[in-house]
Amino acid sequence: MSTTEATVMAPEVFAVVESKSPGRLAWERFRRDRVAVTASFVVFFFVCIALFAPLVCRALGINPLTLDRKALNDFGLPNGPFGAISRKHLLGVEPGTGRDILARLIYGARISLLVGFVSTLLTTVIGVVLGIVAGYRRGKIDALISRFSDLTLAFPSLLLIIALTRPFTQRLESLGVPEGNPARLTYIVLVLSLFGWVYVARIVRGQTLALREREFIEAARASGAGHWHMVFKELLPNIWAPIIVIVSLSLPGYVAVESTLSFLGVGLLPPDASWGVMLGDSVKYYRADPAYLFIPGIALIVLVLAFNIMGDGLRDALDPKSDRQQLG
Amino acid sequence: MKRRIIGLLGLALSASLIASACGSDSSSSTDTAASTDTLAIPGTDSGAPTPGGTIHILSQLEQITHLDPQRNYTGSDLAFVGSTMQRALTSYAYAPGSDGSQLVGDLATDTGTPTEGGKVWSFTLRGGATYEDGSEVTCADIAYGTSRVFATDIIVDGPTYAISYLDIPQDADGNSNYPGPYTATADQQALFDKAVSCSEDGKTITFTLSRIVADFNYTVTLLAFSPVPKAKDTGEKYDMAPVSSGPYKIESYEPGKSLVLVRNENWSKASDPIRNAYADSFVYEFALDPAVIDERLMADAGDDQYAVGDGGLQPENLQTVFTDDRFKDRRQDDYDPYVSFTAFNVKTVSCVEVRRAVYLGLDREALRTAGGGPYTGDFADGFVKPALADDYAPSKLPEGLNTDGTPNVEAAKASLEEAKTKCPDVYAKATVEGLKFFHPDTPIWQKLVSIWIESLKAAGIVIKPTAVEPSKYYPTVQNEETDYDISRGTWGPDWPNASTMIPELFLTTGGFNLTRNGDDPAYKQFETDTKAALNELDRKAQGKKWQALNQFLVDQLWSIPGTFTKAQDLWGSKVGNAYRWSSSGSFLFGELFVKQ
Amino acid sequence: MTTFIARRLLFALVLLAAVSLFTYLLFALLPTDPAALTCGKNCKPELIEANRVRLGYDKPIYEQYAQFVKGIFAGRTYGTGDIAFTCPAPSLGYSFNQHECVSTLIGKTFPVTAFLSLGAFILWMLLGVGTGTLAALHRGKWQDRLTSVITSIGVSLPTFYVGLLVLFSVVIWLQWLPFPHYASPTENLHDFFTAMILPWITLAVLSAASYTRITRNGVLEAMNEDFVRFGVAKGLKNRTVIRKYVLRAALIPIVTIAGLDFAALLGGAIVTESVFSLPGMGRLAIRSVTDSDLPVLVGTTLVAAVFIVLANTIVDIIYGILDPRVRLK
Repeated sequence: MSTTEATVMAPEVFAVVESKSPGRLAWERFRRDRVAVTASFVVFFFVCIALFAPLVCRALGINPLTLDRKALNDFGLPNGPFGAISRKHLLGVEPGTGRDILARLIYGARISLLVGFVSTLLTTVIGVVLGIVAGYRRGKIDALISRFSDLTLAFPSLLLIIALTRPFTQRLESLGVPEGNPARLTYIVLVLSLFGWVYVARIVRGQTLALREREFIEAARASGAGHWHMVFKELLPNIWAPIIVIVSLSLPGYVAVESTLSFLGVGLLPPDASWGVMLGDSVKYYRADPAYLFIPGIALIVLVLAFNIMGDGLRDALDPKSDRQQLG
Repeated sequence: MKRRIIGLLGLALSASLIASACGSDSSSSTDTAASTDTLAIPGTDSGAPTPGGTIHILSQLEQITHLDPQRNYTGSDLAFVGSTMQRALTSYAYAPGSDGSQLVGDLATDTGTPTEGGKVWSFTLRGGATYEDGSEVTCADIAYGTSRVFATDIIVDGPTYAISYLDIPQDADGNSNYPGPYTATADQQALFDKAVSCSEDGKTITFTLSRIVADFNYTVTLLAFSPVPKAKDTGEKYDMAPVSSGPYKIESYEPGKSLVLVRNENWSKASDPIRNAYADSFVYEFALDPAVIDERLMADAGDDQYAVGDGGLQPENLQTVFTDDRFKDRRQDDYDPYVSFTAFNVKTVSCVEVRRAVYLGLDREALRTAGGGPYTGDFADGFVKPALADDYAPSKLPEGLNTDGTPNVEAAKASLEEAKTKCPDVYAKATVEGLKFFHPDTPIWQKLVSIWIESLKAAGIVIKPTAVEPSKYYPTVQNEETDYDISRGTWGPDWPNASTMIPELFLTTGGFNLTRNGDDPAYKQFETDTKAALNELDRKAQGKKWQALNQFLVDQLWSIPGTFTKAQDLWGSKVGNAYRWSSSGSFLFGELFVKQ
Repeated sequence: MTTFIARRLLFALVLLAAVSLFTYLLFALLPTDPAALTCGKNCKPELIEANRVRLGYDKPIYEQYAQFVKGIFAGRTYGTGDIAFTCPAPSLGYSFNQHECVSTLIGKTFPVTAFLSLGAFILWMLLGVGTGTLAALHRGKWQDRLTSVITSIGVSLPTFYVGLLVLFSVVIWLQWLPFPHYASPTENLHDFFTAMILPWITLAVLSAASYTRITRNGVLEAMNEDFVRFGVAKGLKNRTVIRKYVLRAALIPIVTIAGLDFAALLGGAIVTESVFSLPGMGRLAIRSVTDSDLPVLVGTTLVAAVFIVLANTIVDIIYGILDPRVRLK
């Protein structure tokens, strides 16, 4: 790849004198990865649907809460093949209530993506900041952050999350967070972030420690670069790759945790929907209504796959060394 | 007997069973006729029972709630423990259908002799019964077992009829002066020994009651009156290893895994006219996912051919099981002893017009459909099941209530309109602020609550749901401090008399009153009438009084009647005698046999 | 090296002390009254108070904690007279719900969890590192895309969903295995394996997904390192390079995460144990939550913490071996 040769030969230090910034170069590399671009469109599509859920549903003439007894038979199961898929209910109806699955999927995307994105954002920001500070400053600060992260890690997180849901949700409500799902979701996001940042921080710290020893950092330090310059211009650009991998793994991870919590009875409250709630509910109907079983599962897989491919593409594009020769 | 609230349908996590009632409803003809599938009771037409083999019981629970006879109060557990390990003075007959509500002697030769109009009851012991170590079951052991009920710090969760009925002085708060055998002084013990005494020859046990209890011989079917050998009593820990007086004994018991029963070689059939004990052993498998239990029973492979479940079929599998002829010889669908209902907090929802509006506007049909349609049960017209033939009469339901369970939005709105002028506070609460609905946090309730919210929205009523951890649901709503407006419950009679339904549910002293109706203007009248019914000695006349009270309750709507519930089961193809025992609403586990 | 290890171990002890204090306080300050939960609904206030005294909940919180810690080393006796009972050291308290010392309950359930975790861990490391390396070596080709698809499925679907589907398809539909009945390996090796194989596979497939991706990333990073390129330039065979340099470099972040994940599993594979009806510590823990069985909850949390801290310490030590720079302060 001749266009990036200069970057490869003299990474970062001389990036400032390049006509194209590293970001620009990354963007160009990313644009050429057609699979990754497609994947980002899929992610974008899901995000849009989630953001504009009320509009989308109104346009389709569906509602996630409306009951439809006529779509159910006497057993309370969808009245028709494939979960009673019809022109009225494009993806069929929920057993028991006859609520429209498509509408619930669209509204559910809202909550699931919200939990996923906010938790990921919080853990990543906290983790990266503390990780870099620890790895870069070392000494007492490093010791303090590391010991704190050790303490956080020592707790069995899922167990604590479950055990503390009710008391802490009540505490949040008494602090003025609206009752019901806002309080529960706030709790879930906060507690996931509380336990999640450690993973990010550990990896970032490790990477930072390793980078410190590298020549180009030495060089930058020798040339008198300040802390800010060191962190933002030298360290961060070089640890994007692992961070992106973590992000693309943790977002679906958080969506899955939300569904596990719903499954364990401490998740979202009715009548709202999330993909997790749907997944948890659908698994019972694998025999009676297989269509319902697969729909939320497939939606989740598609989103996560798109997200991972996009993450891979970004990683490759951002990694200035990724175009070097490969083995084999 | 209580009914379970199963925690998380998906997982065998919360398996606490809590209050409902002790049911022994006699399956009357109305029941069986209405049931489509049980005309020829399946499981009984399986040829002559044969001894041998192992029966497997698949359970969602972590363990048997209580093996300790004095603490056992759950329908299914009473049937299991009673038919395998613990004998009582009397029992319901071991038979399917309405024969199963017949009272027969067990340790006693007959169903007891009342004197002083039913204030003193004596039972003659059959003799010859032995424990698993070969020692004899004595009259003193029965008295001792009964006395354990009074040790309410250790013997918890069991029925407390012994405390309320026996003629032992109580203090002003209703606490007995006898603290149970563990801590009683000689004087205190004398109080008990006076109320429960054995004859010189040890052949007759006599109970002296503080008031007339015409059907006390039904009360002693409860295992709370079972014998416990004093020397073997380990208090709290007796629950894990009780001494067997029945045909089986514990070989191993690991909560969360399994309970294995094997034959008690020291049990003699000669002393026990009711138990047949066909199978050689029982394996109770715990902590199974309910979906897995259903699947295993449907698949009917390997040892599962000898298996039954202890919790009934899940609603999502009803269609599969009841529309496929493969299962036609090993399924059943019929009434259990319970009535479900929705209770208002009458203190906060003090306006009958608002309560009626909720009843009229609620989509009960959708609720029933979500639970499995007609398999959920019939819409109840009160709080007494037709099976209590003496006490049941069809009641007159509120004007405008749709009999098919669909909501009557217009009627609901009209009733609400009345409330607007009569009780503006409650009206505002129901239409603006919202009625707080406390429900167990289970997957099925997630759907039911959605139906509540959605269907009442049409009538202009706002529901604010609060999810409560399933195992803590009843303790929460029974706590006076909990500020719900609406809660729900299920209850069944302890024996075939509405005296164990109506007073329990609606007297302020009742064991399961969720309505907080003590300050309601109609309460005084209700209390007077109920006391009168309780003291009525003529059973027919008493029945008439219960019928009138039932109508009174439907008019007041302190609670909304739900359904006369039904239950469905499936069992392995090689299990015999798999019938629903009317007294417990479950299988009669000890009588199950392996078909050759 | 010895001082490094000694320092880590000492720190682990301090950490455990902190965790135990924190756990104890956290649960003690919850708005549930442990004494009220010791008797049923006919409970009278005086009984609750009696049980409170019997279990030591009447004392101030620091005294309770001191007693708790003392119990760990010296055992603990509850109540007096006839109804007194003793939980020998290491006592973690007494469960009123289950009428057992917490240490006994944990002792019974822990081996199950340990076997489950260990088997799953070995499987998923093999699977994750293997497919991750494969994906990296064939970056951009179909092998890479395929692993991407599979790992997306693995990382996105929750354990209960996959576990139940696996159970239904393998045991119920295909009937390749009998329904799992757990038995300890010394008791019945056959039952042990038939009960464990599905949970192992489920956990391994789901957890391996992350490892595949982390390995892929690590290998790609490492292949661009100068020392790797140097190895290639020197004329070393690809296979040797991968084994000797690439994997070794890529393993560092994996070891970090793996230690944590393994420890987390040991702390109770709550969902897996529930789906497959394994009588392990995770289920004991979750049951203590639904029953509000505080002593068991504190006990399991602490035992889980012990293993997490232990695993962490081992990881740190391995880290020190893999990457000598870490040792030098």
